[in-house]
Amino acid sequence: MPVNRRKAAVLGGALILRLLLLLLFPSLPDLLTGRVEVSTPVTSFKRLQEGLFLYNRNVSPYDGGLFHQAPLLLPIFSLLPNAQEYPFPTALFYSLLDLLNANALITISDSAQAVSGRLYASIRKEITWDGAVIAAWFLFNPFTIATCLGRSTAVFTSTGILYALSAAVQGQSLNSMLALGLASYLSIYPALLFIPLVLLCYDRQAQRSNTTPSTALFVVKHFAVFLLSVAGLLGVSLLIVGDFARLVSATYGFHLLVPDLTPNIGLWWYFFIEIFDSFRDFFLGVFWLHLTAYAGSLTVRLRRQPLFVITSLLGIFAVFKPYPSIADASLYFALLPLYRHIFPLMRYTFFSVSALLYASLLGPAFYHLWIYAGSGNANFFYAITLVWSLGLSLIIADTIFAALRDEWELENPEKRGKTVKQV
Amino acid sequence: MTTFFLLVLVFFSLSAGSLASNYHENLHLQPLPPSSLLASFNFKSNTTRASFDRQHFQYFPRALGQILQHANTQELHLRFTTGRWDSESWGSRPWDGAKEGGTGVELWAWIDAADDEAAFSKWITLTQSLSGLFCASLNFIDSTKTTRPVTSFEPAGDHLPSENLHLLHGALPGEVVCTENLTPFLKLLPCKGKAGVASLLDGHKLFDASWQSMSIDVRPVCAESECLMQIDQTVDIVLDIDRSKRQRDNPIPRPVSPDKLVCDTSKSYHARDTCYPREQKAEKGWSITELFGRSISGPCPLVDGQGANEETVCLHVPQEREAHPIPDSVETKVTGDFTRCFTLPSSTPFDLTVPEQDIDTKVPLEEPVLHAERSIVGHGQERGGMRIIFDNPSPNKAVDFIYFESLPWFLRPYIHTLQATITGRDGIRRQAPTSEIIKETFYRPGIDRERGTQLELGLSVPPASRVTLNYDFEKAILRYTEYPPDANRGFNVAPAVIKVASPQAGRPIYLRTTSLLLPLPTPDFSMPYNVIILTSTVIALAFGSIFNLLVRRFVTAEEASALRAQTLKGRLAGRIVALRDRIRGKGSKVE
Repeated sequence: MPVNRRKAAVLGGALILRLLLLLLFPSLPDLLTGRVEVSTPVTSFKRLQEGLFLYNRNVSPYDGGLFHQAPLLLPIFSLLPNAQEYPFPTALFYSLLDLLNANALITISDSAQAVSGRLYASIRKEITWDGAVIAAWFLFNPFTIATCLGRSTAVFTSTGILYALSAAVQGQSLNSMLALGLASYLSIYPALLFIPLVLLCYDRQAQRSNTTPSTALFVVKHFAVFLLSVAGLLGVSLLIVGDFARLVSATYGFHLLVPDLTPNIGLWWYFFIEIFDSFRDFFLGVFWLHLTAYAGSLTVRLRRQPLFVITSLLGIFAVFKPYPSIADASLYFALLPLYRHIFPLMRYTFFSVSALLYASLLGPAFYHLWIYAGSGNANFFYAITLVWSLGLSLIIADTIFAALRDEWELENPEKRGKTVKQV
Repeated sequence: MTTFFLLVLVFFSLSAGSLASNYHENLHLQPLPPSSLLASFNFKSNTTRASFDRQHFQYFPRALGQILQHANTQELHLRFTTGRWDSESWGSRPWDGAKEGGTGVELWAWIDAADDEAAFSKWITLTQSLSGLFCASLNFIDSTKTTRPVTSFEPAGDHLPSENLHLLHGALPGEVVCTENLTPFLKLLPCKGKAGVASLLDGHKLFDASWQSMSIDVRPVCAESECLMQIDQTVDIVLDIDRSKRQRDNPIPRPVSPDKLVCDTSKSYHARDTCYPREQKAEKGWSITELFGRSISGPCPLVDGQGANEETVCLHVPQEREAHPIPDSVETKVTGDFTRCFTLPSSTPFDLTVPEQDIDTKVPLEEPVLHAERSIVGHGQERGGMRIIFDNPSPNKAVDFIYFESLPWFLRPYIHTLQATITGRDGIRRQAPTSEIIKETFYRPGIDRERGTQLELGLSVPPASRVTLNYDFEKAILRYTEYPPDANRGFNVAPAVIKVASPQAGRPIYLRTTSLLLPLPTPDFSMPYNVIILTSTVIALAFGSIFNLLVRRFVTAEEASALRAQTLKGRLAGRIVALRDRIRGKGSKVE
């Protein structure tokens, strides 16, 4: 089976690369864990270890200002040996998680949902990459490797989302909801993917059974499953931690109210450092409203391509989330190669890719100038996060343009290849 | 030095045994190597519990008494300290560190309250009132600076078992202690600093010292059935003799004139213009008037007991050392001891002159039981590490102690990185299991903008070795309004308090480390508007372009130009028609 051999080569190569990096540069994981681009207050491995330390000594990890991650991570990580003394098992665990994610991506790619769904089949469906290439794009992306070595717990959320997608494209809609429940439980924002995901599940079910079940009933049923899975996970957490109010305020409250303004690659931290105190709550509301507004509008406009809506939403989250990191960008860049067929329709590829490269190279340098060298100030790093956000949002807008154009060309085959305008 | 202060304590506890309202004061002077002088002022007044409760204050300061009653405070300890006690050259601390605070202001009190919230609200009342009384920023002790130490402090007074006492502790390491704190301090004394030893306390000299500590302790003392409220005020200062003497006639430092230089003439290169300074072997000469700029203006008439005959000024020097008080004063020497005391004559101002003298006998300095040092390591404004070094000088005895520190919330320690290393006298390090050194831990992590971190460790340092504790921390970035005006100076971290259980099972010995300066990352303070505008622009750009894509429809370029031409033509035609109609209408009117 030649295809499987290619996949095995990609997966094996990625695993070897990760372990080789660990062996050659033993200090690399700790260096990456400390980087603001990799670790945010809600995904930092060092904070997880602090929470674990307190949890293992029967102190509530949420009765402090450091630990804000989901409680279920604590028993999982207390099974692993101490990462300070034995870094290898943890690194292996994270590498295997990456391989799992790649496997989910291969499943998504093999289903070809990206190019042809129930309501829509692209006219360019022959221009695609196969699963091994898409897995390679994900596994050999430097952002993914940095996230894996930096042991960011955002990887768990990515796994939840990718498994929700892979279950959905396979038609296992209940599994999909359970996986989305896990992702939402870990970090609240994946709950916004519910609408497009349930539509994807619905399309797959309708496609398979060739019937159209009641949409409302389908959505309500799946919403109930989703809520139950989140409630179940919270119930288990309650058994682990005990104090529910404190748990919720330290994890979800922390996501929603953004009290920790540690620098990251997003737009929120510097804005909320500089905003006048009387406007803080107002702008907090505005920023969250802005983030949630995309889910509905994209779903309505791109109803025929729910998987593309999810991809674009993940991209938007990677820019406008309160605590984004390169882990979120790597998840977006993992799903983007599924849309190889719309790449020829994009207009600003060179400019946006250059902006991203510029930001990823200058970001660490400017951060160093501000924090360590003292020869720059906070505006240096802030300016780079602006460029990064601009580049990423340009790619998102450009792919949405390309996807819409692809749909339009399907409807108007005679106008294919002509210059278009929007009115 | 401990025995000396113990004697003083014994003397006071005897005199306190009479259980009546009374007042005592005294001053102890002790030269410290190389050329310093420790002046230790102590003022103690009592009032019976009954008259205190009836608000009948005789010697007890009314201003403070009423605050304590209002805030339900049963026991109060307030400290104002500047400088660092140099234990390497000055030996162990006066009063075994019990009357000393960390740099800045430190306050702890036992408050009688039903529960924690009530205690905290009383505590806020107390800090606000004391802030007004002492002209200090004590009102800045809020929930983030308040801790509730578990094992580091014990009540010094005798409390009724029925009281529900809560210990609260707060520190302001950045407070600059100065004359505005001394004036209210002196006002609490019965003689208001006008007579008695307190008349020496002058802000210019006091705050020019190498180290100074003012303390106020209020505690109930009970014997049998009767109780007293006791207020104990001390001022301990270490004066640099040369520095204090110089300022009288020659306030501006100038080079010593050539004829006054003491040169080592045995050096081969000694010449008229080359001088190798000779080491000063002789003990420095000084007098009270020279050091303090004034003499003691007679005894305080309210002093209880033998009145004018009480031995108020004591000097702690070898027996051979010459000391010349004014003629009216009576000198008492205790044979075999280093202490001699003088009475204050009521008619004439008191002065004491100790001339320069070449003697071999030295007062033995007591070795401190533990040396402690704390510093911030690492570089950059993102993260750092704390390093605390404990050195046990004793060759054969291990030291057990409690280490207490309260950290501000913006310093986030990673307690899982806490590590201990032991270094022996041979200089060989060994990584000890943390449990071997740290016997017990009380850790309360801080919460952002709510409370600081509280860490109490029970430690044991083996004999003749040095223990180093290390942990990492992260520095938070604050909102721009939370930074002080001098944001780049850094933030003060309160000194750590170390309580060593006394070997004689008496009062514990206290040590304090120096305060630390923590630089935090700072945003740019000049451009909040620019940040708001630029971030909003990026968001609007992304939102606008996606919104445009979602609500508009595609047309080809030809269709678009056709549409545009159509609309433009239609609009223009409409305008022209309207214009023509108007002209015609006007024209017809004219016709």
